[in-house]
Amino acid sequence: MNTWFRQHRFAFGRALAQVRKTPGSFAFNVLVVAIALALPFTGLTLLENVRPMSEQLSVDPEISLFAKTATTREQAEALAPQLRTILGKQKAKITFVPREQALDTLKDKGGLADVLDTLGDNPLPDSYVMKLDGFASTTQAGGVDGIAEQMRALPGVDTVQVDSAWVKRLAALLGILRMALLLLAVTLGTVVIAVVFNTVRLQVLTQRDEIAVSKLIGATDNFIHRPFYYSGALLGLCSGAVALGAVTLALRPLNGAIAEFARLYASTFQLLPIAPIGMALLLALSAALGLVGAVLSVKRHLARLS
Amino acid sequence: MIEFQGVSKTYTRDAFALQNVSLHVAKGELVYLAGPSGAGKSTLLKMIAAIERPTTGRVIVSGHDIGKLKRSSVPFLRRNLGLIFQQQRLLNDRSILANTMLPLLVSGATNGQAEQRARAALDKVGLLDRAKALPLELSGGEQQRAAIARAIVNRPQIILADEPTANLDRAAADKVLDALHAFHAVGVTCMISTHDEQVLDSAARVIRLEHGNLTGAGA
Repeated sequence: MNTWFRQHRFAFGRALAQVRKTPGSFAFNVLVVAIALALPFTGLTLLENVRPMSEQLSVDPEISLFAKTATTREQAEALAPQLRTILGKQKAKITFVPREQALDTLKDKGGLADVLDTLGDNPLPDSYVMKLDGFASTTQAGGVDGIAEQMRALPGVDTVQVDSAWVKRLAALLGILRMALLLLAVTLGTVVIAVVFNTVRLQVLTQRDEIAVSKLIGATDNFIHRPFYYSGALLGLCSGAVALGAVTLALRPLNGAIAEFARLYASTFQLLPIAPIGMALLLALSAALGLVGAVLSVKRHLARLS
Repeated sequence: MIEFQGVSKTYTRDAFALQNVSLHVAKGELVYLAGPSGAGKSTLLKMIAAIERPTTGRVIVSGHDIGKLKRSSVPFLRRNLGLIFQQQRLLNDRSILANTMLPLLVSGATNGQAEQRARAALDKVGLLDRAKALPLELSGGEQQRAAIARAIVNRPQIILADEPTANLDRAAADKVLDALHAFHAVGVTCMISTHDEQVLDSAARVIRLEHGNLTGAGA
């Protein structure tokens, strides 16, 4: 076991020695790989910030039913049992909102009291707000469209709005973004592997003599391959760290701009960096991509040297 | 220790590098390989080190059949061999000491152990005071002695030297051969290929090769 550790330490030392020997080249390679990694890391950071926000939004659909303005109060109140029948076993909190209450609320919330006063008669209809619950996801919530359709057919009903529609659209949009990010990550991951592949290829070529001598003095294939594996993993790791650092730093000016925008919506929304555990995973992934590039390169180019 | 049984080696269909060679080298023997360029001396030494494999016949080294040796077992065979080449094949980006330590580090020795034994090996070839020098700062003869230090640092059972005195002046060549004779004197089996007839005159056993065939009585 001691020998195993010693040989890995030796290999790591050789990889570091290679970095010290050509620091400019290493830095340039780190920069190239970091740029490739920064794009998916940025996308992931944005998605990770938007995801909790979309989760906090009401997935439980809210149905707003507006009676026709000609409908009397008695007729409107008589809709309640029919609504319960349509809802069936679906859990829901049904609230009747008389037109007077709706007008008061509009006056309070919108700051439109003066404008509304000039209208004279109350233009708002009686309405029902039905808060449905027990939905685990936006996909399940999609089933509420059928319920809304039945309600639209009731006499005296003017409009039925399913308020979860935009949440579903957001969820669908996030799904598309997630897929796009995955494709981008796969593409740029391939770029990272290709860059490391080429870097290690050049290292193999410049160390041909050392490899040949090592073979002649009894070095095993593993002993010869390991420093290149460490080089690849080190390149991936450093690039991942640079990319994460750059993305985190970029959040500062971005948050300045977002704060202005969010204030308009009375929000304090800010983009946060990826959590430490997420960062650790991304660094491990970066190192793994570097390692894969190195393994592929070593297998191909050392086999040719042999 | 080393046995060739009807060994032939061809690189192309009709060009034999070795043809039906049979020979035996006992443990602790010092054997010179002689012959003109292209006679097959290097091929013969390469087969002992499993750098080349026989096309036909068997090469047995320390009980291992080279033709049947697994690729993964070759490094372990080579750790018992000390290989010396005409071009010393020292790594020019590191010191003589670091070059000499390399076979030990490959075998899993600690840095401390490797340095201690490398210094002892350099001392044996008279280069301890040049331990920190880079190969290109040494003369040809010194580089060859450094290569010998690297070859013997692992305490090999067999030393294979391919034209170790080529390109060296008489004095430097003598120092190199003296170093090799010193290891033979302590029981190491040595096979040395050379063109140098002056050296061959005083050799106890000479195996002569020509066009891949053994000639003379040395086999």
